[in-house]
Amino acid sequence: MGKKVCWGVIIFTIAINVVMLQWTIEAYLGREYEQTLLYSGVGIVMAFVAFLAYGHLRKIEYSSEKKS
Amino acid sequence: MSKECPKGRHGKKSNHDMINLMDNVDQNDDLRYNRRAFIKSAVGASMALGLSTVPFSVRAMIGIAEPDHDRVEIIDLARLPEGEAFTFNYPTENDPALLVHTVKGELVAYNSACTHLMCPVFYQKEKDILLCPCHKGYFDVSNGQPVAGPPQRELPLIEIEVENGKVYAVGRQYRHG
Ligand code: FES
Repeated sequence: MGKKVCWGVIIFTIAINVVMLQWTIEAYLGREYEQTLLYSGVGIVMAFVAFLAYGHLRKIEYSSEKKS
Repeated sequence: MSKECPKGRHGKKSNHDMINLMDNVDQNDDLRYNRRAFIKSAVGASMALGLSTVPFSVRAMIGIAEPDHDRVEIIDLARLPEGEAFTFNYPTENDPALLVHTVKGELVAYNSACTHLMCPVFYQKEKDILLCPCHKGYFDVSNGQPVAGPPQRELPLIEIEVENGKVYAVGRQYRHG
């Protein structure tokens, strides 16, 4: 996975998480608790994905730095 | 954080053009606002957004674990002729609700706090409609959906059952229709 992909993934998770936060709150206020759990689960997974992508990006960047 | 750039130590003292070229170079800013700092903030933002949904899911789990609403007796059907409404509280003492026997003979119940700003709604039997007098919000009496005025959401529907001439409240639906 290249640097560009990592960037893409991170930006994508931001977009998804904005929507998930909005949907979670909406479902919560409508007392649709199953939906709340679903959206919030997606949000948490996406947060995790962002973190992994960041870790991966760092690894690529710092190792390529040593080579050059 | 000082604006002083360590490499520009002669800059201030000199008027020489080639030295003052350094003026637009700020090492601190370079360290602070770069590509890596940006991606770090972006990841932080994404994680903050994702994790901020956690409190809601915790509350939702508590909500799921809570027992279902009780079955509560509201009134004798005989005391509620067509065109009349009766106020009660359901599911808790703090949730005012309205049981309506419409002029068409239907029995319906809703939580009566207007979904705009919580004023109590009333049944207007002349027009067969629920009216919130605060800002002239109207709700359809047959399904609780807002039909005019500021309210945007439907009134929570209270499920009712009639048994042996008594009306019971058995549950509540927040989003319906
Ligand atoms: S509070 Fe009911 S219309 Fe505003």
